[in-house]
Amino acid sequence: MTGDAAVAAGSGGVIHDIGYRHYDGPRLGRAAIVRSLYWHSLRSAFGIGRGAKAKVVPLLTFGIMCLPAVVNAIGAARGGGRVIPYDTYVFRLRGLVMVIFVAAQAPELVSRDLRSHVLPLYLCRPVRRLDYPLAKYAAFTAACLLMVEIPLLLLYLGTVVSASGTSAIWSQTRAFIPGLLIGVLWAVLLAATGLVLASLTGRRAYATGAIAIYFFLTWTLASILIGVSGGPGGPGGQAAPLAARLAGLVSPITVLDGVRRWLGGTSFGPVPLPGSAGVLYGAMFLLLLAASLGGLAARYRKAGLA
Amino acid sequence: MSHTPVIEKAATAQAVIETQELAKRYPRGVTALDRLTVAFAPGITGLIGANGAGKSTLIKILLGLVPPTSGRASVLGRDAAVDAERIRTLTGYMPEHDCLPPDVTGTEFVTHLGRMSGLPATAARERAAESLRHVGLYEERYRQIGTYSTGMKQRVKLAQALVGDPRLLLLDEPTTGLDPAGRGAMLDLIARIGGEFGISIVVSSHLLGEIERICDHVVALDAGGLLRADTMTSFTEVSQVLAVEVDEGLAELAAELSLRGVTSRPDGRALLVRLESDTTYDAVRDAIAGLRLPLNRLEQRRRRVEELFRDEPAGGAA
Repeated sequence: MTGDAAVAAGSGGVIHDIGYRHYDGPRLGRAAIVRSLYWHSLRSAFGIGRGAKAKVVPLLTFGIMCLPAVVNAIGAARGGGRVIPYDTYVFRLRGLVMVIFVAAQAPELVSRDLRSHVLPLYLCRPVRRLDYPLAKYAAFTAACLLMVEIPLLLLYLGTVVSASGTSAIWSQTRAFIPGLLIGVLWAVLLAATGLVLASLTGRRAYATGAIAIYFFLTWTLASILIGVSGGPGGPGGQAAPLAARLAGLVSPITVLDGVRRWLGGTSFGPVPLPGSAGVLYGAMFLLLLAASLGGLAARYRKAGLA
Repeated sequence: MSHTPVIEKAATAQAVIETQELAKRYPRGVTALDRLTVAFAPGITGLIGANGAGKSTLIKILLGLVPPTSGRASVLGRDAAVDAERIRTLTGYMPEHDCLPPDVTGTEFVTHLGRMSGLPATAARERAAESLRHVGLYEERYRQIGTYSTGMKQRVKLAQALVGDPRLLLLDEPTTGLDPAGRGAMLDLIARIGGEFGISIVVSSHLLGEIERICDHVVALDAGGLLRADTMTSFTEVSQVLAVEVDEGLAELAAELSLRGVTSRPDGRALLVRLESDTTYDAVRDAIAGLRLPLNRLEQRRRRVEELFRDEPAGGAA
C-alpha cells in the first residue's frame, strides 16, 4: 500500500497523497492496554493532560494536605519534636480534604465517559468488560494514596532530618510504617466509594454532590451519635459506653478511624477505643469495600454498546 | 456509480463474516435474531433492515459483546464466542450515537483510543494523525471536539474506528445527522476506504439509496431472519416491469391497455406494466398509437433495494 504514492499536480502546487498505509508494527495485549488506561486515568485524576482549570482542585487539596507536615518540619528544625501522629495525621483535615478530592475527581474519571457515551468505544476494543472499572479503580486508588501518603512522607522526612541519633530515627520509622498502612486503608475505601457513586450518573455536578453529601452527612451523623452517647472517651483511653463505641460504624470516615484503633493505633481520634466492638469495624470496612467494588462491577457489567 | 458488473468475490475469497443458525432470544421472549445463516463477502456490504430487524444485535454478537443463544458466528475466520479479543483487535466499530467527549482535541481522543486498540504510544500518535488526515480533518484536529460540526464529529468517529488499522469496519448508520452534502462526502469516504484502503466494510443503514450508491453486496434482515443476501448488481437488475410515460391521457391509456388484456398501474406520471412477453411491447405500442398519445419514455425498470421491503412492486391487478 505504501507504493501507490499518487502525485496530483494542481495549478497552485503539488499535493503528495501518500495513500493509506497499513500498520505492521507490534500490537500490545490486554494487560498493556489496561496499564495504559490506568496511567491515563491516574494523570487525569490530577488534571494532567487537561486544561489549567482541571488542575485547581487537585493542586489545592494536595497543598492543604501537605501544610501540617511542612509546619511540623519547620517546628522540628527549630528544636521541637513531632506534634502530628502518623496514624491519624490531622484527622479532621485529612477527612475533609480527602472527601473534597474524591468528590471532585472521581467524576473526572468515570462520569465524563458516561456523559459523552464513550464506553462503547472501549467495549469494542480488545479489553474485557471489567477491565475498564478495574483500571479506573487502580488509578484512583493510586491517586488517593499519593494524596494521603506524600504528606505522611513529608512529615516523616521533616521530623527525621532534625532528629538526632539512630534510635530516634528508628523510633520514627517504627511509628511511620503503621501510618502508611492506615493510609492504604483510606485510599482503598475512599476510591471505591467515590467511583461507585460517580458511576451512577454522567452529570459531574450530581456525582460530586452525591459523594460529598454521602461522606459529610454520615460523618456528621457519626460525630453527633458519638457525642450524645458519651463522647470519644478520654485521651488516656477510658472506656466509652458501648453506644458510643458503635456509633462510628455509620460513616466510612469514622469506620476508618475505628479500624485504626482496632488494629492498635494509639493516637486519640474521633472514634472511642472500640474494645470488643473493634472486629465490627473491621467487618464494616470490608463490607463497605465489597459493596462498593461489587456495585462498580455490576454497573459496568451491564454496560452496552448504546 | 458505474454499471460495470461487480466481480463475485464471495466465490473466490473467504467470507469476512459468517453466521450459522445464529439466534438471540432475550428474556421476556424477545427474539432479536432467528436462526440467521449468512455470509458477508469482502468489500463493502450494506446491512439493511427496519428497526428491530436484528442489525445491532448482530453487530454486538460479532464483536463478542453479547453471547448468542444458539448458533455460531465467525469474523475474519475467528469464532466470535472464543476469539472475541482478537476479533476486536482486527475490527473497527463506529457507533451510531454520539460518543465523543467535548473537552478534548480530536488528536488527543483518537490517540488515546489508538492506545486502547493496543498500539504503542508512538504508533498511536502517528496512526491518529494519519487516520484524521484520511477522514479529512487537518488543522481542526488540534481543536476541542466540542467546537466541531456534526460532519466533523462523524469523521472523528470514523477515524477512531480506523486508528487500529482494522481488517474490517462495522459502521452503524454513519450518515446520521448529516446534511446532503455531508452525506455525500461521508459516502465517498467510505467507498474510498473500502476500495483504496482494502478494508472490508459493513455499513448498517436504513437509507437504501446510500446503500445502493456505495455497496458491493447487500444483506437484508427482517424480524431477525435473512430476507436476502446478494450482490448489489443482482439487487438492481432489470426487472420485468415496463414504465410507460405519456404527457397526457394516462387514464385512457390504462383503459385501452386493459381492453388489450394488459394490466397496468399508475405510478406518478407513468404507467407500470408487467412484462409478460415481447407481445406486451406490441400491445403498448398499438395502444399508444391508437390513442395518438405523445409518448415520452418507455423503459424497462431497474429494481431498487427498497422494493425488498414493499409488497410485490408492480404489475398484477391495479
